[in-house]
Amino acid sequence: MSNYKHIGKDFTPPDLLGKVTGKARFAEDFRADGMVYARLYTSPMANGRVTNIDTSGLDGMTGVIGVITADDVPAVEAPNAAILTNRPTFIGDPILAVAAEDEKTAEDALARIKVSIEPLPFAVDPLDSLVTGGPNAREEGNVFARSSEGSGFRTIKWTPEQIAEFRAGKEPTGEFASEWSYGDLARGFADAAVIIEEPFVTTGYAHMSMEPRTAMAYWQNGTCFVYGSAQSQSFWMPGLARLLEVEQKDVVLISEYTGGGFGSKIGAYPLAGLPGWFSRKIGRPVQLRITREQEYYIGSARVGFQGWMKLGFAANGRITAADVFIVEDIGPNATGGDGSSAGGAVSLVYDPEAMRFRGLPVMTNTTPRGAQRGPGQNQIAAIMAPIMDKAARELNMDRVEIRKVNATSNDTTVYEDQEPVTSAYMNEALDMGAKMFGWETRRNKPPRRGSKVRGIGVGQGYHSAGATGYDGLVRITPDGRIHLHSGVGNLGTYSYASTTRAAAEVLKCDWEDCVIHRGSTEENLPWSSYQAGSNTSFTHQRANYVAALDAVDKLKQIAAQSFGGGADEYDIDGKRVFHVEDSSRSMSYAEAALQAIALGGSYSGQTWPEDIHEVTQRAVQNLAGSGLIGVAKDKLPQNGVIPGLAVAFTEIELDLDTGKYEILDYVGIAECGTVVHPQGLAAQMAGGAVWGMGMACLERHVYDPHNGLPANIGFHQCGIPTYLDTPLHVRTGAVDLPDPQSPFGARGIGEPAMGCSVAALTSAIADALDGHIFNRTPVSRDMIVNHVAGRGQSFQTLQTNNF
Amino acid sequence: MASFDVMPDTHLYQPVELADALELAARHGERGWLLGGGQDTYGWLKDRAKNPQAMIDLNGIAALKGIRETAGGIEIGAATTLRDVIRNPTIRNNYGLLSDAASRVASPQIRNVGTVGGNLVQDARCWYYRRGLSCYRAGGNICYADGPDAMNREHCLFEASRCVAVSPSDTATAMVALEASMVAASLDNERIIPADKFFVGPDTHITRMTSLKPGEILTAVRIPAKWSGKRFYFEKVADRDVWDFALVSIAVAMELDGDTVGETRFVCGGVAATPYRLRDVERAARGKTLSEDSGNELAALATRGAKPLKYNHFKLPLMENLVRRAMRG
Amino acid sequence: MDIAEFKRDVWGREVLLGVSWDLLWVILIAAFLFIAIHALIKAAEKRRQSPTADGPRVLRHDALDRTFHWIMAITVVVLLVTGILPIIGVNFAWLTIHWIAGLVFTAVILFHIVRSLFRKSLKSMWISLRDLREPFDAAQKPGKYSLAQKSMHAGVTVLTLVVIVSGLVLFAVIDTPWWDRSNALSEAALGWMFFLHGLSTVLLVGMIALHIYFGVRPEKLFYLRAMIKGWISKDELVANHDPEQWNPGESS
Repeated sequence: MSNYKHIGKDFTPPDLLGKVTGKARFAEDFRADGMVYARLYTSPMANGRVTNIDTSGLDGMTGVIGVITADDVPAVEAPNAAILTNRPTFIGDPILAVAAEDEKTAEDALARIKVSIEPLPFAVDPLDSLVTGGPNAREEGNVFARSSEGSGFRTIKWTPEQIAEFRAGKEPTGEFASEWSYGDLARGFADAAVIIEEPFVTTGYAHMSMEPRTAMAYWQNGTCFVYGSAQSQSFWMPGLARLLEVEQKDVVLISEYTGGGFGSKIGAYPLAGLPGWFSRKIGRPVQLRITREQEYYIGSARVGFQGWMKLGFAANGRITAADVFIVEDIGPNATGGDGSSAGGAVSLVYDPEAMRFRGLPVMTNTTPRGAQRGPGQNQIAAIMAPIMDKAARELNMDRVEIRKVNATSNDTTVYEDQEPVTSAYMNEALDMGAKMFGWETRRNKPPRRGSKVRGIGVGQGYHSAGATGYDGLVRITPDGRIHLHSGVGNLGTYSYASTTRAAAEVLKCDWEDCVIHRGSTEENLPWSSYQAGSNTSFTHQRANYVAALDAVDKLKQIAAQSFGGGADEYDIDGKRVFHVEDSSRSMSYAEAALQAIALGGSYSGQTWPEDIHEVTQRAVQNLAGSGLIGVAKDKLPQNGVIPGLAVAFTEIELDLDTGKYEILDYVGIAECGTVVHPQGLAAQMAGGAVWGMGMACLERHVYDPHNGLPANIGFHQCGIPTYLDTPLHVRTGAVDLPDPQSPFGARGIGEPAMGCSVAALTSAIADALDGHIFNRTPVSRDMIVNHVAGRGQSFQTLQTNNF
Repeated sequence: MASFDVMPDTHLYQPVELADALELAARHGERGWLLGGGQDTYGWLKDRAKNPQAMIDLNGIAALKGIRETAGGIEIGAATTLRDVIRNPTIRNNYGLLSDAASRVASPQIRNVGTVGGNLVQDARCWYYRRGLSCYRAGGNICYADGPDAMNREHCLFEASRCVAVSPSDTATAMVALEASMVAASLDNERIIPADKFFVGPDTHITRMTSLKPGEILTAVRIPAKWSGKRFYFEKVADRDVWDFALVSIAVAMELDGDTVGETRFVCGGVAATPYRLRDVERAARGKTLSEDSGNELAALATRGAKPLKYNHFKLPLMENLVRRAMRG
Repeated sequence: MDIAEFKRDVWGREVLLGVSWDLLWVILIAAFLFIAIHALIKAAEKRRQSPTADGPRVLRHDALDRTFHWIMAITVVVLLVTGILPIIGVNFAWLTIHWIAGLVFTAVILFHIVRSLFRKSLKSMWISLRDLREPFDAAQKPGKYSLAQKSMHAGVTVLTLVVIVSGLVLFAVIDTPWWDRSNALSEAALGWMFFLHGLSTVLLVGMIALHIYFGVRPEKLFYLRAMIKGWISKDELVANHDPEQWNPGESS
């Protein structure tokens, strides 16, 4: 545990009270004078063309204010998602909205609108589109590859024989869209003592945000005020302005609380722009609340994988070569990029001596995909764990040991370019977890109890966990308060608050003297990274750190100007700046703030560094003259990949008769540098664990291939784990070794917290079934029952989006 | 596709006398909707997949609530909550099969408001049907769940007749096993319907789950003393330990003489549109002793005549395993 | 009142579900009104001397035809009961009985068609120009079958063929011992089949009501006897038929 004043200590994030008292206001809770309620009409067809919209049924209806269609909003280039479209490419694609004085009237109006749609061929399984003669999800093609060299549509087809070979677990021979590699793959396999070759599937599933994406907007003197459900705050601004076709300065985003985003609300999604356009059209504030069902259509989903991998292991367990091929289900909007991230995760977590990744992103007419907690990394973690176990069995090694042989460390180089890592302590995490879990003892499993067998599993999670170049903004006002401006967004991790504690640490002030500003553009927030990708802790500790350093520097300069001497002769503590040798030459922060206002210039925000983002510049302009402004862009040195790592150990008792298992114990260990906020970290590790439990055995998309309908459009049907499906206690711990490139040593952890969990469970299930691996998530009850009964599975190999 | 979640306009009646409720039920007939705990109701109505002109709330009628011991057994008012059924000591001590089944219904929150009557008469849980498709069960001409590529993991093994949906009720299996009878009142009549006649399959009525007629109200369930204190076994296998419907469930009532089985009732849920009696197993069980071997012998009979669909054949070994478990000593 | 029932499905399309069963009541009411009016008119008419059933007999329907008729009648009753009672609220497991009866019905109709094609009896049911003069010429008597009987037969033939063909199509997509049900037909196609099956059924109900009525009318009762016993008397033949058109042999 560190000796910091704030870092590593628990605190109460200021938004917590509102959450537990019900006073928190989410986007849906805001009202404006004259506000009308909009409801959405979405496509019933998986792929089609709107041929007619008949709104004559609304004639004479009382309380209906207006209708907005694709003709009223900007068109976008395929495959990007539009606010509204006449060319729907998935069930639930928004076509029009109707506004009324109340929600029921809006729904009554919706029921009277007749939309004619010409159906077009569609695909709900990438392999159905990939086979010769198969339908393309879009007229432009079935593959959309995004790359820095240029993105574009392609039509790629494999022969039925190639598809059959892929299904049979053989190396795919069909065309692919992207490739990277390092090392000598052929030699790696030649040197291998054991080679394991497996096909695999990870089924996509919904993000399941508790709060459906509501937005309310109105215009006032040319400025659009948007009350949105946003995962990020400042990061939304450029996208939101683009959606509304206005300048960033003309948009105000209010998003104080967000009921979950999980990657689906990172940037301004198209629907957030709809109320703005609708309000412009009808001249009234408009609130668009979508139904839970529509949240499942529009609310984004994890990318599914259909893949093949071949791994070579030396006799000592070291991975000599890894060859990974992934067909990605990227939905209709070609969103994802999970495949290459999965390849990257293999490179970082298992450090193969040579590796090749090949990817093929195929579009389907299913829910649009987006980054979901550990996008790519967590899918591959689930698949890799039992494969590593299989190798350990074949090499007669301990399953933890084989992971340690390949564990990433400070010396590991990763990815195609074999970059360094900032720091990594996977071995330490495995040791800590194994000890806490009692791996050595539990390896000696108790005998079968009736139909119940035990299984223990170990899993590893990873996500890159940091970025650089964002801005920090702090302010000291004449009342002595420290104002910490956070543009991070309130996703629920409390990192919007915990990262500002870096500034409090630098300013050596008490937390009670600090005020966090957040939740609205009008709170004057700095340019921030997205609140996603496990990166906030690293990124915004740095940004807050540099801003606080700027404030400290200004405090010292002001003191030096007042009391003489150089600024470097002054120091701070106890909310005072003082001369290090003559404590009588001191002034309080409050006095310094007054002085800063008097001095003007950069001291109080009349001028600002040129390199800060325009969002930060506007915030500083607005704050100018209100106190001492500390503002800076993070230009601290940074080199290499910043890994967030986690490991998990679990024990299950699986009933061979019913396919059900109980999780008897779960231990999750974070390896995320210095622990910043212990309670927050424990919550992340526990929440991630639960999510992993859902991915391992319950959650998946199911689509009817005949009519394209999704089977799960509600919490019940989606099978998220409940309290009774998860262990009462989840034990967590942290390695707590500082990262040298973070001012206070922290890296992020959000995503690996889940990846390690799903991996530990797939590992434990395989262990319980004497090493049988399903190569698929989720491993549902029926799969286990069928396996134990010696029956075939209901689906064909590599089939996806099915029961 | 319009998507709805706001309660549409409907008339709400809250009678406090059964006679008034019966009069309302008779008046509104098929266009009326009887409201128990509302756990299956509000989804249908808010989705606008069902559009009754009136809701008749039965929760204010004292006569429909409570558990009474009678000369022949017990009588449970149809509007009694599942929570009260679970906590009732007489049921727990003498008819433990029912408390076991009721305690596996949905979730604690749903059991707190859900009623025993509502649980018994709840509608089918086919996801195609619930989406509002015009399938057989919704009065249409097609079954979407029975296509060659259809996603029919949760559907039936037995007694399909065009529709392949299953009975979702947990308590229904126990009621059939306990030979309960249902009291169905109408304005001018009262029918006592044995449980295994109460639930109807799609061959008889493709758009209803029970033999209740429009205008009739299930007022009570009567459980005879015949099975009081006998050996019971209930197990429900669902994806999750809470909230989910049974993939397969089993309710067994058994007379035992020492370890030897006398008369039995084996009833499975989740495999047919009604609670499905394993009559071959019941016949063969008589005279057997509780053991792994007799379990194995009976298991083979459990799935006789099953017609699995593409995604539900895992229910065959599951049923067999549940029969085995019921026969373990 | 609508002739057909439609439903707007989740894809926003109007789907034809089948005939509107309100039509059944309309047809029944129309048939009974016709019967009532007809009966009243007949009752008001001056009673004519009925021909006697005594005396020599001629064969009107041979045993095979009579057997055919009554098997058909039984299957039709079974089909109507199993097809219509569930619609009007009498619920039982009807489908298996219905399709078995449907198959028997189809078989007997096929038998009848084949037998008619290979015997000259086809001509006796053919509606000729001469028949069309029948209503306007009180002196003209029909051959074996009157214009009314021939018209009824023609109508029933068309409806029966429609009900059988649509029924067989529907039979093809349900579970049977020989095949499993399939979704081979689109909802639209199924809707048409159900519409045709239902519409022909409803019209057949009307036809059958009239057929039964005329079968039991006092002046026509001898035809019912003929369908049971096979014969009519010479006297009945002469009174109702033109022997030049139809000259059956003596009956035993």
